[in-house]
Amino acid sequence: MINGNLKADYGADERVLNNRNKQLFVYGSMLLLALFPLFADDYAVLMACKMGILLIAVVGINVLTGYTGLVSLGHGAFVAIGAYSTVIFSNLFSGLPAGILPIIVVPLAILVSALVGIIVGLPSLRVKGLYLAVATLAASFIVKFLIEQDLFAPWTGGIVGIDTPVPNLLGWELDTKREMYVLITALAVGTMLAAQNLFRTRVGRAFIAIRDRDYSAEILGISLLRYKLMSFAISAGYCGLSGALGAYFFARILPEQFGLDLSLELVAALIVGGMGRTLGPLFGVVVVLLVPEMIKITMSGATGGSLEWARYTAPLQEIVFGLLLVFFLLKEPLGINQITDRILRSANRWPFARG
Amino acid sequence: MTLNRRTFLATGAAATAVMGTPMILKAQPKEYVLGASLPLTGPFATAGQLVAPAFALAQKMFNDEGGIAGTPIRFVTEDSGYVPQNTLANYQRALATEGTALVGYFADSTGAMKLMAPELKGENARLMGSTSFASELADTATHPYQYVSGPTYQDQFDILMQNIKAAGGTKVAIIYSNTEFGRDPLEHGRATADRLGLEIVLEESTKAQGADIPTHVTKLAQSGAEHCILQGYVTGVWPQLIGGARQFGLPIQFHGTFWGMEKLIADRITAEAGPFLAGYQGVMPYRYFYDREGAPRYKQYAALSKAMFAGTPLENYMSTWALQAMCGLELAMKALRDTAEAGNELTADNVAESLSGIKDWDSGGFFGGPVSMNNNKIGTGRVYEYSPESKLFTPVSEWLST
Repeated sequence: MINGNLKADYGADERVLNNRNKQLFVYGSMLLLALFPLFADDYAVLMACKMGILLIAVVGINVLTGYTGLVSLGHGAFVAIGAYSTVIFSNLFSGLPAGILPIIVVPLAILVSALVGIIVGLPSLRVKGLYLAVATLAASFIVKFLIEQDLFAPWTGGIVGIDTPVPNLLGWELDTKREMYVLITALAVGTMLAAQNLFRTRVGRAFIAIRDRDYSAEILGISLLRYKLMSFAISAGYCGLSGALGAYFFARILPEQFGLDLSLELVAALIVGGMGRTLGPLFGVVVVLLVPEMIKITMSGATGGSLEWARYTAPLQEIVFGLLLVFFLLKEPLGINQITDRILRSANRWPFARG
Repeated sequence: MTLNRRTFLATGAAATAVMGTPMILKAQPKEYVLGASLPLTGPFATAGQLVAPAFALAQKMFNDEGGIAGTPIRFVTEDSGYVPQNTLANYQRALATEGTALVGYFADSTGAMKLMAPELKGENARLMGSTSFASELADTATHPYQYVSGPTYQDQFDILMQNIKAAGGTKVAIIYSNTEFGRDPLEHGRATADRLGLEIVLEESTKAQGADIPTHVTKLAQSGAEHCILQGYVTGVWPQLIGGARQFGLPIQFHGTFWGMEKLIADRITAEAGPFLAGYQGVMPYRYFYDREGAPRYKQYAALSKAMFAGTPLENYMSTWALQAMCGLELAMKALRDTAEAGNELTADNVAESLSGIKDWDSGGFFGGPVSMNNNKIGTGRVYEYSPESKLFTPVSEWLST
């Protein structure tokens, strides 16, 4: 029997980072994240922040799709609700001291998203799979439609969008991208840890039971109504937080930022990264956001930024990105997380058997 | 040579001059960069692909003229896929890689302009033109670094309504796409109609693509409108609406704004569906490319197009979309050159000041006569009419200003 980890007590068995290589990987990554703003330029910081914001939303959809087995194509709507709630509540409570506003506004935005998540999740009690995907699709359209309406324009800015406030955390005004990076990274790491721990609890195990066979779970005493809606609420709450950070990060939010594309991007990132895995969303976000940029930079470098070539390389970038996605899925249908798992496992067992 | 106090000081001064000179020269980059995001993929890829060659032409032409006060320029053009956040990322990357050499940027949508407007602060500010004619952008107080290369949609509505009034029209319908682009001039249009004594008998919103044409045409027929203004469309919906109305036998006079005035689209519709666009009118801020009499700048473009794009459809015709980009670039270059010639640094503030101070500018043919920047826009345009026989848009009004 191949066993890379010696577990001599229950504490060791329960440990998340249960071997040296995992510890090295995670702590090393965290150190790198901490040092990143010291040497990165503004563009790199912008990309890192965008990744952090998207990561939180993908962690959210991972709770629902990866762990509970419920498909949603409407999660872009919850990101929108989080973003718009942040702006609306900030304007509504503008009389309060600026330093405490985000502490009130962000939890409220998460709460509103979670409540809407429960409503959108109601069809999950009757339908699942593709049917549920179509049912949730409506959320994406309805929320965007409502945001764009003139009736709500005094609060949402309507179709022309609305300027967002600068967050102020107890007197610390986060008015640069580098400062926002600190907040976004801290919350992104925090939400990933929270998601990891959620599945070590009774609630998380209930989600996994529902994913693996919902009627078996019900027979075991798990209330489908309660846990499916709870999964929707948690998942939507994560997306709400992502939206709130997006609102703080971008100087203006527009309804077109929250279309169907965003919902699909979230699902695509999750599938590519690895569903039902803690680090899956992270790898997915890297592929979905960073790879197209890297292809763009590489091609631009290869053609010397030529205007003539840009016309041909731009569509080519889309094709290369599409082919890369297909390659990843063919090579590893369980997502990139599975590949890194294999690498870490073989590192742990080296020089003995790999696999 | 013995080293005494005098030679020491002289050597020191010479050394300082030699070592100091490169530092002074370093302050001015060896080339200036103008960035651009274009929708080379995505829903407006057709327009983006047609506009892209204009940047190559502009780079050659401006550099042949000596760039900016002798310093050559280079364009960095990237795809945005028509996603505002991508345009923002492209802009940030251009800022990070080019630094102070980046002196201007061209964005590809109203959304991108609005998303980036609050980001243009301090060291991150640059002069910014775009494809947009959104009225909100023409405001030096709120958007000091952004400008509109012509009249805003509100101005274009004013020009159309003035023309309708002059033609004796009284009842006007407005059909618009349910987008920001479509809705932009609505409120202002109502006020203008009211001021001119025109009655708006129908305001109909449609989808931007795949609109339910028979329903909209039926409503138009019921409204009793004599004139109908179409707003917020580029390649689709507007031709179908006109076709539907003609099939219905409606004698309504249709009018469009800039993005619905491309000859290539009108020609294609005529070739595919017949001559039903006969009499279609619309406002164009610029001359068409084939109208080169008394337009020396257009003649220059034509000569360069012939040399650079030989064997392609771009050899003889520059689309209205590309002309709009060219006009934006001409304005940016004028502001940059004026700033450099005045001996000022090319900071966003200095360049924006030069831009808003442009007075009686001879554009070389874009506009009817000398024009001035007023609130970072040029409020002038002319009404054109399409003829399926000649396949040309020809002017039916004088140059009208707002």
